[in-house]
Amino acid sequence: MLAQLQPYIVTSWHGHRNDADIPAAVKTVWGWKFQPSRGGFQQRQSNVDLALLNSDGIVVHTFDAAHHEQYGRGGIQQFTVRELNRAAPFLGLGKAPAKERPVKLPTLGGQRGIRVLVSLRDDRMIAYRAPVVEVVPMAKADWKPLAWPDKARTVKASALKSWLSQIYPPGVMDRTNPQTKVVYAIKSTTGDLKLTPIAAADGKRQAILRGVVRLTDEGPDDFSFQGIVEAVLTYKKGEATPQSLRGYFDGLYPRNDRQHRDIRWLPLQAAFESIPD
Amino acid sequence: MKRITIFLLSLWLANVASAAASSQRILARYQSLRPAAKDLGMYRLDWADSLDVALKRAAKEKRPVCLIIIHAKYGDIASGHC
Repeated sequence: MLAQLQPYIVTSWHGHRNDADIPAAVKTVWGWKFQPSRGGFQQRQSNVDLALLNSDGIVVHTFDAAHHEQYGRGGIQQFTVRELNRAAPFLGLGKAPAKERPVKLPTLGGQRGIRVLVSLRDDRMIAYRAPVVEVVPMAKADWKPLAWPDKARTVKASALKSWLSQIYPPGVMDRTNPQTKVVYAIKSTTGDLKLTPIAAADGKRQAILRGVVRLTDEGPDDFSFQGIVEAVLTYKKGEATPQSLRGYFDGLYPRNDRQHRDIRWLPLQAAFESIPD
Repeated sequence: MKRITIFLLSLWLANVASAAASSQRILARYQSLRPAAKDLGMYRLDWADSLDVALKRAAKEKRPVCLIIIHAKYGDIASGHC
């Protein structure tokens, strides 16, 4: 599917049918999607559609991203490839596979920050295993809690909330506000981390950050989960602000299993890295 | 006194070696948890920040647009937190 999507400029839009400023292309797609069914037979629909537009912005083809017959392992992907191939001739795309682009992760356009790559190891829902990549800007003041430690000291996890709060899995329906349909954000990161200076073998200054962090979301039930955080920070000689940060979060996420009325504890892991490199 | 100094020095060296090993272990764990290129296929696509930007670029570059429409009040499909 990625090969078929290489020639496209890809973008997304989200909203509801009663929104004020629905783009023309979305109106076209929803006009077809929500027209009265013929013969009273309503096809199963998902809440995601793909629209393929030509370079003039005209919708050439559209389809439900999770076609009713295509659920199951690999089914949605095969269906999407088929639909992209169907539309290709109408968009002037050849049959030869386009050259694959290199991986280009989000940046902050040269501004300093921390990139957080989150993975939920869900053995049942493969789609949820797709990594989340967030970038969080870090001003000089944001680095202050991680300033060079002359001796070991405690860093409160709350001081690192701006980036630790990005650690939550994608598409968690049961952690969504039922009224607003907005995902509950992480409201607090708690725990004591120890920042310890070490002398690295190559003479550069390094420190290790280590501790257990609990993340609580803004839902009404005090829902929380926790994990180990460890990171290596480097510092230039004579500078207190970290030069780089590399680390990870390794925890367990309690996911509601409605079918079995149980909780599944899924490994939730994240890698952190300062940007730019 | 000399023996004590040597003992303290060896303790310090062991501590440095253990700290360095700890740093290597953390970096190895970071690397193992960082998604591999094969898992980051989404980021091989040519993303535009908005439909407006995509349409302007499409006209200029004579390229098609793939628009993902999510019937929901939230969703950042580019980051994955949707």
